[in-house]
Amino acid sequence: MSRRLVGSVAATLVMVLAAGCGGSSEADGKVQLSLGLFSDFGYDKLIEEYQAAHPNIKIEQRKVKMEQHNTQLATQLAGGRGAADIVALEEGVVSQFRASKDKFVNLAEYGAKDLKSQWADWKWNQGTADGGDFVLGLGTDMGSLGLCYRRDLFEAAGLPTDRTEVAKLWPTWADYSKVADQFTAKTPNVKFVDTGRNVYKAILDQTEEGYFAKDDSYIADKNDKVKTAFDTAAALGTKQQTGALEPFSQDWNVALKQGSFATTTCPAWALALIKAGAGDAAAGKWDVTTAPGGGGNWGGSFLAIPKQGKHPKEAYELAKWLTAPEQQKRIFKETGNLPSQPKVYQDPEVQATVNEYFNKAPVGQIFASSAESLKPTYRGTKDSKVGPVFGTALTRVEQGKQSAADAWTQALKEAQDAVK
Amino acid sequence: MTDLRTRTEAAPAASVPSSTPSKRFGLSRWDAKYTPYLIIAPFFVVFGIFGLYPLVYTAWVSLHDWQLIDGNQGFVGFANYAELFGDTKFWNALFNTLSLFVLSTVPQLLAALGLAALLDRGLRGSAFWRAGVLLPNVISVAAVALVFAQFFGRDFGIVNYLLGLVGIDPIDWRAETWASHLAVSTMVMWRWTGYNALLYLAAMQSVPKDMYESATLDGASRWRLFWSITVPSIRPTILFTVVTSTIGGLQLFAEPALFDPGFAANNSTGGSDRQFQTLVLYMYEKGFRLFDAGYAATIAWMLFVVVLLVAVVNFSLTRRIAGKG
Repeated sequence: MSRRLVGSVAATLVMVLAAGCGGSSEADGKVQLSLGLFSDFGYDKLIEEYQAAHPNIKIEQRKVKMEQHNTQLATQLAGGRGAADIVALEEGVVSQFRASKDKFVNLAEYGAKDLKSQWADWKWNQGTADGGDFVLGLGTDMGSLGLCYRRDLFEAAGLPTDRTEVAKLWPTWADYSKVADQFTAKTPNVKFVDTGRNVYKAILDQTEEGYFAKDDSYIADKNDKVKTAFDTAAALGTKQQTGALEPFSQDWNVALKQGSFATTTCPAWALALIKAGAGDAAAGKWDVTTAPGGGGNWGGSFLAIPKQGKHPKEAYELAKWLTAPEQQKRIFKETGNLPSQPKVYQDPEVQATVNEYFNKAPVGQIFASSAESLKPTYRGTKDSKVGPVFGTALTRVEQGKQSAADAWTQALKEAQDAVK
Repeated sequence: MTDLRTRTEAAPAASVPSSTPSKRFGLSRWDAKYTPYLIIAPFFVVFGIFGLYPLVYTAWVSLHDWQLIDGNQGFVGFANYAELFGDTKFWNALFNTLSLFVLSTVPQLLAALGLAALLDRGLRGSAFWRAGVLLPNVISVAAVALVFAQFFGRDFGIVNYLLGLVGIDPIDWRAETWASHLAVSTMVMWRWTGYNALLYLAAMQSVPKDMYESATLDGASRWRLFWSITVPSIRPTILFTVVTSTIGGLQLFAEPALFDPGFAANNSTGGSDRQFQTLVLYMYEKGFRLFDAGYAATIAWMLFVVVLLVAVVNFSLTRRIAGKG
């Protein structure tokens, strides 16, 4: 009995090892390409089409959660094996991976520089290094900023519900805070905004330099803009006008469904998350308008090619095709992911797009005009290490564990440790 | 007894003549000498590859400035260790780990003992109950954590709802240290109590029944029977569960990680102020979020030392306690 068990365990082990080492790259003579993605890039149909047009290529998508994706990719790059042929790099971490660019293929070797004019300049620059000589990734979507609000909750609080009227309420974030006060005075049991963290992030994403100056030096402790953003968000938390929710968590979904907050910052890609969380019952109750303080960018990704892949040439061709204007336009129509290419987001067809769920809001127009006016934030190499420190500080304020001043002091200290 | 002793004394004398032919057949002597080693070798080979090598390699990494992606950045000696001993986050994580360990393991093993004693009494449908107590352990930890995280939700959690029925204000389970430890321990207890109960039950069933009978005749109560016969008789099993739950408890990761809603995002610190960040969570943060593999390896080694210390203390303590009576 036990001997049989040992035998079967050994056999399984051998099978696992064989599968692990085998690397079934040239099964049935086709070139196999894998795509390492997170959330919804809207590639399902495009991939089928690409395979039909290129019978010698077989494409496999690997989708995991973003945090897991980044961690996995880091270990795969460190280990020298296991990474997908094409990997998505999110805007928040692309600077971190840029520091390890020798693990990636320089796409300029395959002529990527000729494509430069497709993208908005800032988007192109985020995906390059060495003053543009090293092309790390080709831009997919971008996350230009909007603000989502619940029409019914605004009405109950005696506020306007029409999106142009609402936009007039908050030209700046200070005005937004004033609206929060009015809202809370009328309907104290409903939170004005889901979380102070997203307000903070949005304000910061509207500045050109956040935690790091453009020469990559750490300036969060000296930059008034960081402090102002923090204070604005912390004040909302102190006054208990936020739901103190972890953004995009299960609790956040529940709160959406319960309708327990009235506004949330929404980059283009967040519309799908709100719709999924709030469900069909809330159709037409949510609406989108322009965010206070002008345009900003939060999120959006790049497709990069790790050096360890066996087919960099084929991978490049696929990445190039997936990020081309025609495909970006189709993805926008299907998923709402905003194209990062001016020619596409200025396209009349894109501009005319409305989102049924969000009370037929003209999302194409709202996000495109936000994209026009945006000043992208410089992301330092260690941006993704510093950012969360300020996020948890705001959560401490929202939880009533610390005063805004204490939370700020602790955050600065922890950030200092993180950049050391 | 005497009979047995004479037999063993006689054995060497009898074996003298039989040893002569084995000199002629070298192979069989070789066989007798080395086969046992060969038979246990696979374990040590596997242990060497998956146990010893990572252990030594981790120690090597901990002596370097080692970045996860870019690898070795130079030898730094014990600098990582020196930094660790001055790192308040490390001591906080150590405190959380020990607190969670005590909060979850002590009630868990006591409850398991009680549960096993109940199951040992020959309930109707015993197979059903025995399978039932193991069920929580079979369910994926991620699923358990997700469900418990909902139970302990601040705004819409069922635990706060029930507390509200008896007039207690809602608790922000993730904001307060003690509350978060209680919630995470509940999860651990739920998963492991049944498993340990089954181990105890198996041991209890091998306790000779005549011991109970004679003690009952002497007028011992059920309570007395349990503490004076059952517990001392299953001492080896208790020692075993104490050591395994020490190792498991000190390496707590999945439960606190999934209890933190920030874990899915880029915020795996175990609470807004590290209220329930265990050592393994801290190691994960350093190694996989901040990519500081050298420092993470240092934490791993300190964790190893802590587990060793606590296991030794527990082992001797339990041996003394269970040895009484």
